Amino acid sequence: MNTTRFSIRYLLLIAAVLMLSLSSYAAEQKESVATIKMTQAAKQASKSTADHTKFTELQKDFESGPEVTAACLECHTEAAKQVHSTKHWTWEFLNPATKQRLGKRNVINNFCTSVKSNQAFCSACHVGYGWKDDTFDFAKEENVDCLVCHDTTGKYKKIPGLSGHPNYKPMEWPPKSGKIREPVDLKKVAQNVGKTSRDSCGSCHFYGGGGNAVKHGDLDSSLKQPLRYLDVHMEAKGLNFSCGKCHLSDSHEVTGSRYAPTAADDKGALLRGKEDGRNPTTCVACHGNEPHKEYAKLNDHIDKVACQTCHIPEFARGNIPTKMTWDWSTAGRLDENGKRLKIRNSGGMVAYDSKKGDFTYESSVIPEYVWFNGNVRYTLFGDKVDGSEIVKINQFMGGPDDPNSRIWPVKVFRGKQPWDVGNQTLAVFHTAGEDDNAYWKKYDWEKAMKVGMAAAGMEYSGKMDFVETEMSWPITHMVAPKADALSCAQCHNENGRLRNVQGIYLPGANNTPVMDKIGLGIALLALLGVLAHGGIRILTSRKGAK
Amino acid sequence: MIKIFSGFFAGIVLVIVIAFKFAGGFMFSEYASPFGVEETAARVQANIQALEKRGWKLSALRNPARAAQVSGINVLPVLLVEACSTDYSAPLLKEMETRILSILMPCTISVYKKDDGKTYIGTMNSGLMGKLFGSKVASIMTEVAKDQQQFIVMDPSKPAPPLIRKRPGGGSGGAGTPESGC
Repeated sequence: MNTTRFSIRYLLLIAAVLMLSLSSYAAEQKESVATIKMTQAAKQASKSTADHTKFTELQKDFESGPEVTAACLECHTEAAKQVHSTKHWTWEFLNPATKQRLGKRNVINNFCTSVKSNQAFCSACHVGYGWKDDTFDFAKEENVDCLVCHDTTGKYKKIPGLSGHPNYKPMEWPPKSGKIREPVDLKKVAQNVGKTSRDSCGSCHFYGGGGNAVKHGDLDSSLKQPLRYLDVHMEAKGLNFSCGKCHLSDSHEVTGSRYAPTAADDKGALLRGKEDGRNPTTCVACHGNEPHKEYAKLNDHIDKVACQTCHIPEFARGNIPTKMTWDWSTAGRLDENGKRLKIRNSGGMVAYDSKKGDFTYESSVIPEYVWFNGNVRYTLFGDKVDGSEIVKINQFMGGPDDPNSRIWPVKVFRGKQPWDVGNQTLAVFHTAGEDDNAYWKKYDWEKAMKVGMAAAGMEYSGKMDFVETEMSWPITHMVAPKADALSCAQCHNENGRLRNVQGIYLPGANNTPVMDKIGLGIALLALLGVLAHGGIRILTSRKGAK
Repeated sequence: MIKIFSGFFAGIVLVIVIAFKFAGGFMFSEYASPFGVEETAARVQANIQALEKRGWKLSALRNPARAAQVSGINVLPVLLVEACSTDYSAPLLKEMETRILSILMPCTISVYKKDDGKTYIGTMNSGLMGKLFGSKVASIMTEVAKDQQQFIVMDPSKPAPPLIRKRPGGGSGGAGTPESGC
């Protein structure tokens, strides 16, 4: 009896194991069939004259990203040299107007603040491999990451903390999530490279600031397959523009930098092929100087108002809220067990994180509007800060009397972040890393400040505090259908969109008290005239009757 | 005599014009919220749930802005919090004369953003509406109006509750099951 019961149990166990294996195999098969179909579809759609699956250089099982790059360079001999001269590689930009040395490498923002001392983390969005500290070899060609921009499979992911590498071994990601990320199949990705796409550009630019929609407000993953309402140019079933359609590139240099944007373009539509150094990403470069045919009066606005002001009525319209504030001063609060706290808001977004402090978010954000002539002045590390007023991390220059200025929509991101009181500068602090000095490891500001400031080339004074900051981001994506552009009354109104813009006279919005009094006086005099005239007529008619 | 009649007639016309002009304002009320759209809607939901002893239950949360987006149109965020209380709905549904008022069910609180970037709460003026339909309806709707005022209390000292997105009643709009309240 016992033997029979044991045998039945044994059989049931074998059956269960078999069932599990079969279902797992079926799932794997399903996934691989789906991937093959996707790749085949991509190939059918591709108009490329090269099929990378047939290249002998790409037949090996690559063990690292630099190995793939070496294979790419066997044919694309000049590619890495070209990449080396781009901002995507150097993370550096010398602003010719202000002479400020900008780029991610140099600026401090009010999100994660600074790359310095945090390279291993931040370089997940660098087009290179191995940038973990100042010893990184910017001249080595194999350090260029071709796949991050040219992957078409969607499977290539770089993970923060790995110095720009994808994971080559299975690893838990996000940390402590219990989810295992399998290593990327470098051979498959290398054999399926292609043009850049919204997906590949978006893999970094949609996630700026450390998460989806966090930084820009007009760039997030909703633009991967947008509906028409969200962006008329990128609508997946419509014009379906890739980023590169506007951000034309040449020798790997991509046009349209926000460090030196074109605020006003009056040069008309850009003739295809014409090389005059113009920025081809402006609206005017395609739509010309007189884009409004039906309501020509609207063309009278373009010498003062940027196209974006009317045609991007709100940003973060893709139902993914963008981060609007970040308060570092509240970071470090732990739960009763001394563990990291994460508190979510009504929409399910993290509103408090022990590592980062308090956040607020917003969807369909109504922009703020400023005069902008294309010059941006930054408060850089070492620039004097005294903590008594809000620090403008960047300032959009321009004004009503500047012919190169236009009224632009911006996202103003407000924060509270560390500053070194003794050195009177915005602070650089060591945020991420496995060492005990990293703020996210031990929540110790003193250690994080000491290491961060040293990495930036300054000795920490020993006294830090938090200062309110503001940083502006020009809004230029998420162009709505023309029917959804701002109506006249949305600006020409006392409480209209442009109420805080200085130096403009807006009919319907501004009044001149003297003119108002004169107008009222004339109206009253007219009324008195009518009454007097009527009264005289009545009196004289009565006299006549008598 | 003609002057008296014409004056009387002019008075009537004036009253009608004023009524047409301002009736909308009497029928609906708008309140500013210190919170964003999602948090305001979540707080309204939490307030409704707190009045469960008076029969209130959440029926649905609708997002008409999303429907507009799918049609290719941009509208600022709007969320409709729907709730119903059988304590109030059942007596109205029982009477043949008042069954027509079922078109006002479930009770809807609208939360929306306007061009100034602020969030607003819109409610129907249930008390005034009830008075148009006789004393029985008036007495019920007066109670509904009192509860509505509780729905829209925004207490910053309370933590932000999660927005309840699922439809408690299921189906289209969440009506038709006991969980939906109507």
